[in-house]
Amino acid sequence: MRALGNWAIREWGQLAYPTGLFWASIVGLLKSLTRASLRGKEITKQIYECAVMSLPVIAFSLGIVSLMSVLEFSWHMKVVLKQDALVPGFSLILTIREVAPVVTAMLLASRVGASISAEMGVMKITEQLDQLKLLAVSEVDYLLIPRWIGCIVANVTLTLISIAIAGIVTVFIAARWMGYQPAEFYNSLLLFTTGHDLEGALLKALCFGTLIPFVSASYGLRCAQGSQGVGDAATQAVARSSLLIIISDLLINSIWWMP
Amino acid sequence: MPDLKELMGSIGNWFLFSKRVIGLFFREGISRKVLIQQMYQVGVRSMVTTCVAGIFVGAILAIQINLQLKDFGAQSFLGGLSTSTTIRNLGPVLIAFLLSGRVGAFSSAELGTMAITDQLNAIRCLGLNPLAVIIMPRLVALTISSFLLLVLGLGLTVFGGIIISSIYLNVNPLQFVSHIPQFVSGSSIFIGVLKSFLFGLIIGTISCFVGYKTTGGAEEVGRSVRRTAVVTLVSIIVIDFLVSFVVESVTQLIMS
Repeated sequence: MRALGNWAIREWGQLAYPTGLFWASIVGLLKSLTRASLRGKEITKQIYECAVMSLPVIAFSLGIVSLMSVLEFSWHMKVVLKQDALVPGFSLILTIREVAPVVTAMLLASRVGASISAEMGVMKITEQLDQLKLLAVSEVDYLLIPRWIGCIVANVTLTLISIAIAGIVTVFIAARWMGYQPAEFYNSLLLFTTGHDLEGALLKALCFGTLIPFVSASYGLRCAQGSQGVGDAATQAVARSSLLIIISDLLINSIWWMP
Repeated sequence: MPDLKELMGSIGNWFLFSKRVIGLFFREGISRKVLIQQMYQVGVRSMVTTCVAGIFVGAILAIQINLQLKDFGAQSFLGGLSTSTTIRNLGPVLIAFLLSGRVGAFSSAELGTMAITDQLNAIRCLGLNPLAVIIMPRLVALTISSFLLLVLGLGLTVFGGIIISSIYLNVNPLQFVSHIPQFVSGSSIFIGVLKSFLFGLIIGTISCFVGYKTTGGAEEVGRSVRRTAVVTLVSIIVIDFLVSFVVESVTQLIMS
């Protein structure tokens, strides 16, 4: 019982720190918007680092995932409904609602999240963070806000791009291997999907894009001394942010698509 | 194309590395005590993550499949279809994503720290082979325990689906379970287990390989972690596709 209580308190503490950072950054963002002192160059650099550098990996992965999901769905539909006329539309809808946002966010969490926490960890153990404090520069304003904006932009655009890629791959495969007409495919797609689904995917992307930098930064900023500490911080950041992605995904699913 | 050349080079290196370590395992065996110790370290630490992941993945997919079936008015198939999709396809992938972030990244950070602080060289100085002493037990333990954790997570996805559909989607548990045997055959479970084993092997070999090859300073350890995480995710996706593709082609060959 006591162990359970200790565990709960520890986990609560783990969640409280990123939340604190989140509020601090919102306040910082509002302040810097009023003073018009956002670091434009740094933000552009972060968007480049997060979005453009992750594009090839994510495009490749999503292409393969949507291929696989067409294959699996055609198998299921043949067994279940004894008809496979709706397969491509069906599998693409699952990709739009669920697979594209989650897979993109997982890949970003392991690429961007780990590098944010490793970078901040190295800055901490080489005392660069203390120097920032000495210069009266807030680490939230200086480091975190550009990464936050970069991550959100990256996640939203990459989710859209991956949905588009999934659409193209699915149409191609359906036309090539299974003999559907592209028009038929889009008909079945429009029959089942609405703008609501796309908005849901974007909401997911926004939420995951906020989650990744704050969780990773919270581990990086509290990194223990030594090279072991940096490795630990990066590992914890990846593990924790992917777990939180899954949990918040369930929350968004159950709220957004309320039956 | 220097990038492509580099990529091919590292794939080849990874393959040779895995071959050498797995060969060592078959030639020299492994002491049971070391294996159990390593598996305990890897497995127990990730147990909670895997359980949470399994339950949540099952729940998420039940909600999504329910949305799709609602359009057909075929909600009674929910149990069978969501369980089947989860076990065959998306369940192993999503749980392996979480596990690779936790288990794979951790062991590559640990091995990377050992490599950059010359601990592996110290073992070499003692006249021992670091591949046999440090890497091989870890790789085997990682593979086995990831495999067991993935199978555990897959089992728990069914519970996740049952819980969410009874409290949220108004499908009672009996109705949910009664359709499972209709869709989930032995071959689906076999595919799920096969995928779990291959993902375990991928997580084990890639994290050990990247950790072992780390050189430089503290920043390199962070980079190794990142590289492990990304490479593992992409290879999991690719392997998943290949298994599905091969199985599909084989069944079509048999059917026709």
